[in-house]
Amino acid sequence: MKKTLLLAAGLVLASSASYAATWTGGDELPTNPLACDATPGTVSAKPYDGGVPTNPPDRKDKKITVVDIPKLIGIGYFNATSKGIADAAKELGNMDAKTDGPTKANIDEQITFIDNYVTSGVDGILFAANDPVAIAPVLKKALAAGINVVGYDANSTPDARQWFVNQAEFNGIGKAMIDSLAKEIGEDGSFAIVTSTFTTPNQARWIAEMGAYAEKCHPNLKWLETVEAQEDNVLSFNQATTLINKYGDQLKGIVGMTSVATPASAEAVTQAGQCGKVAVVGLATPNAMKPYVEKDCVKSVVLWNPVDLGYAAAYVLRAAADGTLKPGDTSVKAGKLGELQVVNGSEILLGAPFVFDKANIGQFDF
Amino acid sequence: MTLRSFLRHEAVLGLMLVIVLFLLAQQSDKFFTTANILNQGRLMTEVGLIALPMTFVIITGGIDLSVGSILGLCAILLGVFWHNLGLPLPVAMVLAIVVGGIAGLVNGLIITRFKVPPLIATLATLALYRGLAEGISQARSVRGYPDWFFVLGQGEVLGVPTQLWILVIFAIIAAAILGLTTFGRATYAVGANETAARFSGINVDRTKLLIYTGAGLISGLAAVIFVSRVSTTRSDMGTGVELDVITAVVLGGTSIFGGRGTIIGTAVGLILVQALKNGLALSGVKGDGTIVVIGLVLILAILATNLFSRNGDG
Repeated sequence: MKKTLLLAAGLVLASSASYAATWTGGDELPTNPLACDATPGTVSAKPYDGGVPTNPPDRKDKKITVVDIPKLIGIGYFNATSKGIADAAKELGNMDAKTDGPTKANIDEQITFIDNYVTSGVDGILFAANDPVAIAPVLKKALAAGINVVGYDANSTPDARQWFVNQAEFNGIGKAMIDSLAKEIGEDGSFAIVTSTFTTPNQARWIAEMGAYAEKCHPNLKWLETVEAQEDNVLSFNQATTLINKYGDQLKGIVGMTSVATPASAEAVTQAGQCGKVAVVGLATPNAMKPYVEKDCVKSVVLWNPVDLGYAAAYVLRAAADGTLKPGDTSVKAGKLGELQVVNGSEILLGAPFVFDKANIGQFDF
Repeated sequence: MTLRSFLRHEAVLGLMLVIVLFLLAQQSDKFFTTANILNQGRLMTEVGLIALPMTFVIITGGIDLSVGSILGLCAILLGVFWHNLGLPLPVAMVLAIVVGGIAGLVNGLIITRFKVPPLIATLATLALYRGLAEGISQARSVRGYPDWFFVLGQGEVLGVPTQLWILVIFAIIAAAILGLTTFGRATYAVGANETAARFSGINVDRTKLLIYTGAGLISGLAAVIFVSRVSTTRSDMGTGVELDVITAVVLGGTSIFGGRGTIIGTAVGLILVQALKNGLALSGVKGDGTIVVIGLVLILAILATNLFSRNGDG
């Protein structure tokens, strides 16, 4: 499989060196690139496909108890979402929120936690699923007990929860990555991609969307190669170093597709003394990238803001409990974030991904 | 090493369980309800099942750290046999359990034939079986099992969760084997003094092989029930289960040095841990607090037993 892909990549490179029809590492699903300016994507109307709680009590404007059960507790990312939820609860005033969950990203433990909270009789459950299918039975049980259920970060099957707050759509990430890249290496620069593996679903989807968006909005960008690095620190560093040596001056940018590949690529560029000559753009958490951003070796890091993600999830849960967010609605008010769009039937889109740069990265700690 | 000292530990533990249940029932009115108790039975079945052969393993003075990984491997293979190879689901279920048995047999062979200490042998297979599970699954999960399959993990028989029946039946069988048969007495003999057991004509290696194979088989069965309960297979299933299992067994009074332990003790230990986890969560204690309490209870129980056994055995 891998060999075939490489062979195909070789053929594509040989036949049309400048025009890459599909980038290696992308998947074959249809792409939906966003507009080149800031116009939001068109929302295809899709009927509500979420679940409905059975006979919930009237919770409108009443104080509700909410428990947030992320994939695991004690890591920076979910500390940030939990902070967002606490912020929103404080602002709302009529919500008691607490975060509890397993210390390992373990689906069995997460199910047990949710099960116990369903028994203890909370009003609302917020979750980030360790597995979309495995978590479904216990969430359905919560819905059947009249509990409002809203997901964020990692979805369950749609009918097991009411709403899901989606941090970023694939085409949104594709646009943010390619726009940042074009800004840094110029409209006709050459670049390479470091990804996890060619078959990792999220990364493959992002690469496909990046390819489609680049073709549409930055057609002169030159894609050289995609390399696999398994989300392994050392391997990512080696692959990035190989790219720098292989392409020399031709290489203007490296795109990291994982939160491991991006800092490792930045380290490779730093050690090769190529800071300022080879740009690094990618998905990563701010803490891992702070040293490189502060040294001006990396200018932009793409990710969503997890504090906002938690904040939005808490507002969506409140709106669902109050009955102000009903199946069929097209938007929901989320405090300081304003009006958020409903997409894909029962998902709420957080907005465009967040680009961390030297000016704002110091404010984030995850 | 008398019947009296077993009873002493179980009496202490039973008393502890009663106190804990009473205190927890005071804390939350949701705790002592039929629905909650049956539901807890559902949640503890996998750990409970594996705790039965683990009691035998620890009585022989051994340990099996690989049970969680065997669970993961069998779960993945159930999905692979059924989904990728297209076998009928009942056949896939049996094959998955058989693979568990083979994995256990391999543990037993390494321990008896090559004289590797069980701790090291099963630490190695813990990594080996988990690695196989991850390699075979390629990080993909198998879903979409037919409805009848979920009866095992999500359904009920006569108002009681299906898997709780299985657990109770297996517990009775295990208690009978350990308490009433020559095999049970051989198990104690091996743990109490292996050399003496050999000289008294007990086939020590055969006893151990059977016990480790049994642990593998039951881990495979637990895997099938687990998959049915969560309706999907993943390669990380059962990570850390070995520690929950060993906690229940040791809390139940089985000596980690071998030669001592009962199935009833294990059952009480299991219920005590599950009641603490559930009851504390219901009374608003967070997950991290619960782990601390369980650790303290474990130390307390062992200390109490040591105190009693010292007095009793002189």
